[in-house]
Amino acid sequence: MARIMIDLSGVAHSYRTEDELVQAVKEADFQIEENTFTIMYGPSGSGKSTLLNIISGLQKPTRGRVLVENRDLYSLSPDELAFFRANRLGIVHQTTHWVRSLNVIENVSVPLYFLGLKRPVAEKVAMLVLDRVGMASYAKKSPLVLSGGEQQRISMARALSSNPLFVIADEPTGNLDQENSDKIMDLLQNCKSEFRCTVIMVTHNMEYVPLADKLITLNDGIAQALPAESMYETTRKLMTDLQHRINKFTGKKQI
Amino acid sequence: MININRLILSKFKPDRRFRSIPSRTIVYMAWRNLSSKKLRTGLTVTGMVIGVGAIYFLLSLGLGLRSIVTKEVLGNQSVQVIDVLTPNSKILKLDKDVAERIKNLPHVQLQSVSFSFPSAFKLENSEIDGIVYGIDSSYEALTSLDVSAGRLLSAKDEKVAIVNRAVLRAIGISNDQTAIGKIVELEVPLKNSGASVDSFKGAFKIIGVINSDAGSEVFIPKRPFESAGVPVYSQIRVLAEARGYVPDLRKQIESQGFQTSSPLDTIDQINQIFRYFNLMLVGLGAIGMLVAILGMFNTLTIALLERTKEIGLMVALGARNRDMRRLFVYEAILLSVIGTAMGIIMANVLGRFVNMLMNLMAHRRGVLRPFELFSSPAWLIIVTILFMIIIGLVVVYYPARRAERINPIDALRRE
Repeated sequence: MARIMIDLSGVAHSYRTEDELVQAVKEADFQIEENTFTIMYGPSGSGKSTLLNIISGLQKPTRGRVLVENRDLYSLSPDELAFFRANRLGIVHQTTHWVRSLNVIENVSVPLYFLGLKRPVAEKVAMLVLDRVGMASYAKKSPLVLSGGEQQRISMARALSSNPLFVIADEPTGNLDQENSDKIMDLLQNCKSEFRCTVIMVTHNMEYVPLADKLITLNDGIAQALPAESMYETTRKLMTDLQHRINKFTGKKQI
Repeated sequence: MININRLILSKFKPDRRFRSIPSRTIVYMAWRNLSSKKLRTGLTVTGMVIGVGAIYFLLSLGLGLRSIVTKEVLGNQSVQVIDVLTPNSKILKLDKDVAERIKNLPHVQLQSVSFSFPSAFKLENSEIDGIVYGIDSSYEALTSLDVSAGRLLSAKDEKVAIVNRAVLRAIGISNDQTAIGKIVELEVPLKNSGASVDSFKGAFKIIGVINSDAGSEVFIPKRPFESAGVPVYSQIRVLAEARGYVPDLRKQIESQGFQTSSPLDTIDQINQIFRYFNLMLVGLGAIGMLVAILGMFNTLTIALLERTKEIGLMVALGARNRDMRRLFVYEAILLSVIGTAMGIIMANVLGRFVNMLMNLMAHRRGVLRPFELFSSPAWLIIVTILFMIIIGLVVVYYPARRAERINPIDALRRE
């Protein structure tokens, strides 16, 4: 049995806007094992991003407990949490964000700077990771001048630069075309196989669902981990749903 | 991929305690950010150069003027010198005992005693009235005598004299050098001085001329006055071991009923006048400085608003909130140091130029001795830089505190 990496129990999060109390996450109870690929999906507004923020140590839930490597994440001090993010966690966002004044290699080095590495050492490591995602020749360029696909690959390199234990990807292919999306998915799979990372990804692209070791659905703030036995069934159901939608839009009859 | 993992692990064990970002890296990041906004940074720095430069220029003018005035007033007098005077020469006499007592006070390095009497001089068949001084070599050490020809008296000298230029001018000698070797005859009335004789006469060979036009003066060794039995010195002068001992030494001498005077009194007066003058100059420069400071505040605040997302990103990637504060603080210090250094350089260049012009103009009007209108001592440079760093820290306080409190989730959601 693989080691449990992330363990959520009774997690809920609500916040107050000007006139109402929003229940972003109502109930999340699941575990994620070490070195697995987890895909989280659900409609917009179902609380995926909030849940990712909670796992990333950025958002303390209003209720419940988050254990990472058997440690209560939110019992850590702010400094320890920052260290956790720099050392254990790699993040890939849907929209790429950069420290605009720094070039590609410096941006990839940023998490290493935060770990206290000196610049020359950090950049040596960053160069190796950039090479791994095939972007080494862009090292001295500004990331802002690159295409979306290139930027997302660099952002993968940044997530991997500190050799994290797990990678969180929030719709990493959301803004990319098919070809670039596939490249990113290749890299994410490599995170698991080569870097031995635990990967948690949110996606709306159902074609990637078969890559997952575990599926977590989110509906109206309620997270549900689908049992491994039902993976095949779920995938089939999703594909059928997809076919239904295609048929609906094209007006064809169901086959 | 194994090589990467090894490389990282060798530098950074997963369980190793948290290390903060090396200061050099933060300075580098701050520098990259400033240099990526060339126009804005350039304008801010220009504002600071003008503000700091104006204040520095005016202050160094104030200091330069003060040192010119001080030099004019004091000449080469040492500030460690104290003159001892008596308020009533009949009752409180500056005699040998007093001199001995004062000499033995703590921190007295050197003491000189001298006689001075009104006298008639005869030189080249002309007669002049003036003052004759009986002095010794310590008097020469404590009184700055500016020799224009010949030399000063030495301990072995007898029957020789130094005259000042006023004596020569009075009898029509315009070349100081030609006076050397001439004989000056003195007749000094010593009545009422308590001496054993009524007067003292003698002929002295001139061996030196002093550059001073303030009344006719002749200096001779003090021995003839001692032989004549003059019981009271005209003046006692002491040299303190250091400037810092002067006030204490004066207090001790004054406690014995004597009066004292010191060049420090004059310096105090000059300084007091220039304190107001400099305050006025600083007040003028402060307007420029205020504009520069507002410019800096503006730049840093905009940098904050513009980089809210970037800061959120860095926090999400593992920066501590106080690292973000550090980033802003370093940026402010960088701006301060660059702006101040350039301001000081500009002020110095301008000062040199103005000084050159003024010297040129003065030269044309007959002032031959060059002067330094601006003074730029090391302490002024250091104080200016430190002051501007403090200003930078005050200015950055608000943006840095805001940067520290940025919530990464909200910041990254911003568009």
